Amino acid sequence: MSSNPGPAPAQALPLLERLGLRSASGVGTAGWGHTGLAFVVSFIYFFPVLWIILTAFKTYEDALAVPAKFFFAPTLDNFAQVFNRSYSAGAAAQDTGFTLYFFNSLFISGVSVLLALAIGTLAAFGFSRYPLKGNDTYLFMILSTRMLPAIVVIIPIFIMFRVTGLAGTYAGIIALYTVFNLPFAIWMMKSFFDELSLDVEDAARIDGSSDARVFLKICLPQVWPGLAATAVFGLILTWNEFLFALLLSGVGTRTVPVAMSQTIGGDIGVRWGLLAAIETLFLIPVIIVTFALQNQLLRGVTFGTIKR
Amino acid sequence: MTTADVPVPARILQRFATPRWSNWPAALAIFLAGLPLSIAIFPPILSFWISAALAALLAVTLIVNAWGRHIGGLLVTPALTLLFLMNVFPLLWSFGLSFFAYRANRAKAPAWVGLDNYTKVLSDPDVWDRLHNTVIMVVMTVSLQMVVGFLLALLFSKQFPLRRYLLILVLTPMMLSFVAVGAFFRYYYDPTFGLLSQAVRAFTGEPFVLMKTVWGARAGIVFADAWMWSPFVMLLVLAGLVSVPKYLYEAAAIDRVSAWRQFSAITFPYIRGLLLLALLFRTIEAFKLFDLVFLLTNGGPGTATETIALRVYRVAFENNKTSESTALAYILLFTVIVLTNLYLYFASQRAKEV
Amino acid sequence: MSTIELRQVTKRFGTFTAVRDVDLSVRAGEVVCLLGPSGCGKTTTLRIIAGLERASAGDVIIAGRPMNDLRPEQRDIAMVFQFYALYPALTVRQNIMFPLHHERLDDATAAARVARVAGILHLEGVLDRLPNRISEGEKQRVAVARAVVRDPNCFLFDEPLSRLDVELRQSMRGQIKSVLTNLSKATVIVTHDQLEALTMADRIAIMRDGLIEQVATPHEVFARPANVFVASFIGTPQMNLLEVDFDGMEANKGVFKLGVETLRLTVDPLVGRLPKGKVTVGIRPRALAPSSAASPETLSSRAELIEPMGAETLVHTRLAGGEDIRVVVPRAARVKAGEVLHLAADARQTHVFDQSGKAVRS
Repeated sequence: MSSNPGPAPAQALPLLERLGLRSASGVGTAGWGHTGLAFVVSFIYFFPVLWIILTAFKTYEDALAVPAKFFFAPTLDNFAQVFNRSYSAGAAAQDTGFTLYFFNSLFISGVSVLLALAIGTLAAFGFSRYPLKGNDTYLFMILSTRMLPAIVVIIPIFIMFRVTGLAGTYAGIIALYTVFNLPFAIWMMKSFFDELSLDVEDAARIDGSSDARVFLKICLPQVWPGLAATAVFGLILTWNEFLFALLLSGVGTRTVPVAMSQTIGGDIGVRWGLLAAIETLFLIPVIIVTFALQNQLLRGVTFGTIKR
Repeated sequence: MTTADVPVPARILQRFATPRWSNWPAALAIFLAGLPLSIAIFPPILSFWISAALAALLAVTLIVNAWGRHIGGLLVTPALTLLFLMNVFPLLWSFGLSFFAYRANRAKAPAWVGLDNYTKVLSDPDVWDRLHNTVIMVVMTVSLQMVVGFLLALLFSKQFPLRRYLLILVLTPMMLSFVAVGAFFRYYYDPTFGLLSQAVRAFTGEPFVLMKTVWGARAGIVFADAWMWSPFVMLLVLAGLVSVPKYLYEAAAIDRVSAWRQFSAITFPYIRGLLLLALLFRTIEAFKLFDLVFLLTNGGPGTATETIALRVYRVAFENNKTSESTALAYILLFTVIVLTNLYLYFASQRAKEV
Repeated sequence: MSTIELRQVTKRFGTFTAVRDVDLSVRAGEVVCLLGPSGCGKTTTLRIIAGLERASAGDVIIAGRPMNDLRPEQRDIAMVFQFYALYPALTVRQNIMFPLHHERLDDATAAARVARVAGILHLEGVLDRLPNRISEGEKQRVAVARAVVRDPNCFLFDEPLSRLDVELRQSMRGQIKSVLTNLSKATVIVTHDQLEALTMADRIAIMRDGLIEQVATPHEVFARPANVFVASFIGTPQMNLLEVDFDGMEANKGVFKLGVETLRLTVDPLVGRLPKGKVTVGIRPRALAPSSAASPETLSSRAELIEPMGAETLVHTRLAGGEDIRVVVPRAARVKAGEVLHLAADARQTHVFDQSGKAVRS
């Protein structure tokens, strides 16, 4: 070892790094200074949403106050009214049925996303591992169905549902939403399956696993980010879907967006607090799921067109 | 036992019971023959169930025959069937309908009119006006989304403390229901109560009327739409930015390369394809603009913000000119298909180049 | 003066210390290899010199100037990355020219430099191709070209040959060495391959767990390893290390008890000062030779596995006590499995390491 010239002088980071404002860890990272900027931008961007959430806690007068009130006495009244409301002045409060609507939204979105995942993953596996003649044509057709304006298919589907008695049933709307999510699921999962190395599967087959076992125990765990991304996007899509839900769901199967639009009309004008409360409650499940799976979202958004 | 020993009925049964590829023509024949027969002979409910039973038999035969041999086909069939039923079939139906004159609220049967609907639609000046509206708004909203999305992506491309949480904040607009966004933005834009107007009033003392003017209304819609969907562009660009290997930037730092050159030589090639994808995808989606317009302005003031999709809706459900609306819808579809092809072409180009 | 100096450099990642009190001096024109197993901190040390990581403590001095607070772009260094880090969207020519933008040369000078460097590294044919269209070896040369086209304070190489196949490695070793010799800049090369280090370095710094175990010339680390780790890390086949009991000196020979056997080996006189007790004796396979008869100075062991290596044969043998000894014999000495060999050690190449693993040597 070379000679030691004495104890090292005290290490002082430059000021910015010492305060944690600029990152000391090298290229590609940033410190709290950057966080500050990001916070300001994010806050401005998020502000309209924040206002909605705040409005949920305001009384009707506060909500329409001019100048706008940032500080107010919060009330949980609106949230209570989501579920029990009096429909006309002086009448007793009655159950609005929103518990049913929330359940419907959860149920319909959840089931259709799961179905799309199941059917789509199997189909993607088929497209990837057992390419058929005209594979590309099928895939093109599948993806282009995603591009269809809803308005084009709405009439025939409406008539179809009437004729087969599916209008207003869970099965009908779930089937439709499943079809909405299928193209994305297939494309997403196919790109993931394409990237798996076949060696592991071959080894498993030699060890005697059946095709089903290979699929379940080996392929699926590896493509989990794709499943997550598909689930998130499918959920966001069907959760907020309005047009088809409006036309094709019945009283028993109504979803929250449709119910929301019905609270807008009415003799009192828009009940802002109530609407805000509904939307706030409605946002929560989506935010939770998105937050949990946000890393996978990045992957999913690119439709597998990035090769790593 | 030789075949001669087995009685004929048993032999036939045996032949069907063993899965062989040659079974399915027979099953198909039974189905195709049985279907019209049952519809003709039996009362509706019964014939429906008999047809369903025949279809099930056909399906089972096909599955049994294909098992193990045509696994690929098997895996793919449920998805393709569903898509066909719910997408292709209605499409073909409405395509056919567009050649007839049909109004859903009248009992008259559809009458063949050939290309009449299309010529009526294409020569209607209102339609071209709506198309004009749509194009203007599409250009405005997509440009805004691209710029804002790109800037947001740049902001989030580095790792910094609290990044996870701030990212969610920015993604929330995408997760809102159109109904809520429509209602609340109408509120924000309101001259008396709206936040926007109040803010302007604090500076100028005049209430800010946005939605009453033609360009104001368009701006209002564009702004709300861009606000909702810029995060999507951000995600796309961010995925590209994040995929640039860190060591390239390290090498560039050591090579003393300026920030601008780093961007143009290293970053931009990685995100170029994605930017294009974002552009095309958002343009296609923007052409279908319906929900926000319906909720914010309902096409107003006058018809200044009525998009083509909104017009289709109007013609179909308010004027009840069902088949005319399908013709219009198909013109819209045609535009979208052209754009889709562009999109897919560039997507496959990108897959080849990286 | 192109020099690098590290003084007591330490790097901590949370509770994990990757680099510990590293002192290193690299003179102008000298090539120093940081050699060690994965996770020993050599790449981290290199990145600290480059400025891509910040030292938790200690000083980094390049060309006589303290560089602790300077970012990589301010240090005027050149680095060849393990994954080459070629800019994928630029042609080879543009890649090589990239660092020259900062120097604001006129086009002719820049082009001339690029041409010269391309000539030295035989890249004329691929100058206009994109990185994804050239071979692995060519990519490596482009990375080196990009570094040498400049006139930096020093060169840093991170595992430059690890991704090449064996033949390419041999030819590239020679090319890199000749390029570096002509440039007389301080160079630090990180590698885990001892052959690379032994052939390319003027001095080798062997690292383990963040510490430098020994810094010396290749010959020195081979012939006079500072401790057990260095002794076992350098040299293939690996040195034989025997845990024995030291029982004092007798007639200038060390007395070592190995199980029931007693060995008398000629060792460095300083060994005599050691207290009796456990020590490690190290003898390289090529320092052993079979002798005709057993004696207190030979190890009797039974040959188990014969590995022909061409001109030599590697014989794995086992002592009575179960320890295995590797010995390399010339091809001519035909050894059969099961044969008992009496191995005599070359006195100059018998190493003794004390209880802490340190070499006992004058």
